[in-house]
Amino acid sequence: MSALADAIAAGALGERVWLYSNYHCNLACAYCLTDSAPSSPRRELAAEAMVTVAHQAAELGFKALGVTGGEPFLRPDMAETLAAMAAVLPTVVLTNATLFSGDRLERLRPLADLDVAVQVSLDRAEATANDELRAPGNHARVVDAIPRLVEAGIRVRIGTTLDPDAEISDTEQANLCALHRSLGVSDEDHVVRPVVRRGRAAACDMGVVAAVSDLPPELTITVDGAFWSPFGPTVREGRLDTDLLVTRTTEPLSCPASALARLVEDRPPGGDARLGIR
Amino acid sequence: MSDRRGVLADPDTGDDPGRALVGLITEDQAPLLARPFFADGDPGPIVAALAQVPELLEATAPFLGAVLGPSAVPTRTKEIVVLRTSARASCRYCIEAHTVVARDAGLSVREVRALRGELDACTVFADCGDQAVIGWCDALVSVGPVRPEAKAALLVCFADNEVVELTLLAATTLLLNRFCTALDLPTSAGVLARLAAEGLA
Repeated sequence: MSALADAIAAGALGERVWLYSNYHCNLACAYCLTDSAPSSPRRELAAEAMVTVAHQAAELGFKALGVTGGEPFLRPDMAETLAAMAAVLPTVVLTNATLFSGDRLERLRPLADLDVAVQVSLDRAEATANDELRAPGNHARVVDAIPRLVEAGIRVRIGTTLDPDAEISDTEQANLCALHRSLGVSDEDHVVRPVVRRGRAAACDMGVVAAVSDLPPELTITVDGAFWSPFGPTVREGRLDTDLLVTRTTEPLSCPASALARLVEDRPPGGDARLGIR
Repeated sequence: MSDRRGVLADPDTGDDPGRALVGLITEDQAPLLARPFFADGDPGPIVAALAQVPELLEATAPFLGAVLGPSAVPTRTKEIVVLRTSARASCRYCIEAHTVVARDAGLSVREVRALRGELDACTVFADCGDQAVIGWCDALVSVGPVRPEAKAALLVCFADNEVVELTLLAATTLLLNRFCTALDLPTSAGVLARLAAEGLA
């Protein structure tokens, strides 16, 4: 096994490679890391490039893939691209789940037979609180979409992003868990993370400060280069952050992967990243 | 190839003489591989520009350090090469920066002026080694074959290893001249102040 595969197997390097498929989004959430909005430049990774990353990731010893954006499903080729990637490695795709109706839902159905999880953003049990930071009507759309995905046989995860300054009672947290269970999503498929003070969240004075030592190293590929983690390629007021950039070169994947492994080796000894943001 | 896609660090038009063509990375935005180069403060515009592509900075900086830094060839001789080559290549940034470095390396104001083409170098530099180096730089800046008389003059004064080093130094200076000129790299305020103070602005 190569040194890189050893590092992945040992957990020193995250086993998942993330890809930013695009940066535009039909929403403009207050805490968005990438300052995404309908008017954002698309900055798409080509579908062929994403599949190439999948194959090279597998060869290097990575165990899983993740796709995020922007809203990946604004791309008409996303379902087919996910299918091609999932044929190589288990794949999770992050989405706001506001586009899953009609033809788009039909095109997702083949994913039911593949190792693909669709991770849907749902922050709060109550619609008003949820929609305040996301978009009017977002809660209703998500609650409507999840059962249809589940019914189609697609594995659904729920990603909850919480403003650390928001006062959320134990009752409300319990209500959120009751809600996702009622929608057919188990506790193991519910992930909770804090708003990170980068991108639009920083511009809005929200979230926890996350230095490189706080973030698990997970190779992240974008059209602008390779980054330390999916929290790296953030955009604030139209400007790309480069503080967590690893290399501009993304292909072959061994270039940024090796560089990331070297950076991980140079880290001071210690346990997991402090904030454990995933 | 990037189409800029509307989101990159501080792109400039190049129309402003005080600003670089590309964003110069600041310490707070230094990519991970580039951070060591910012550890001791402002690394200067060449590093700040190269930091846009950290894997290139990581490879290029040690090379530049080896070629331009202390070596078997005296620093004074190396600065003759750098300043003369830069003047011949009309690189404003390198001329200004290395005028200061040349003064610190012991070259007089007259010698600096001569290297910059403001005085006759053959009159100012009496040493045959200095003259050979200046002739070598002038020959290397020209396109096409290097003049035989420049080769002969250099070989009279320098050993093979020194010829190799002086030639790589001049060639590397030319690389930097084109890099700095094309990207409109700005001269630091400290250098400009020093030039003004010494009447070399």
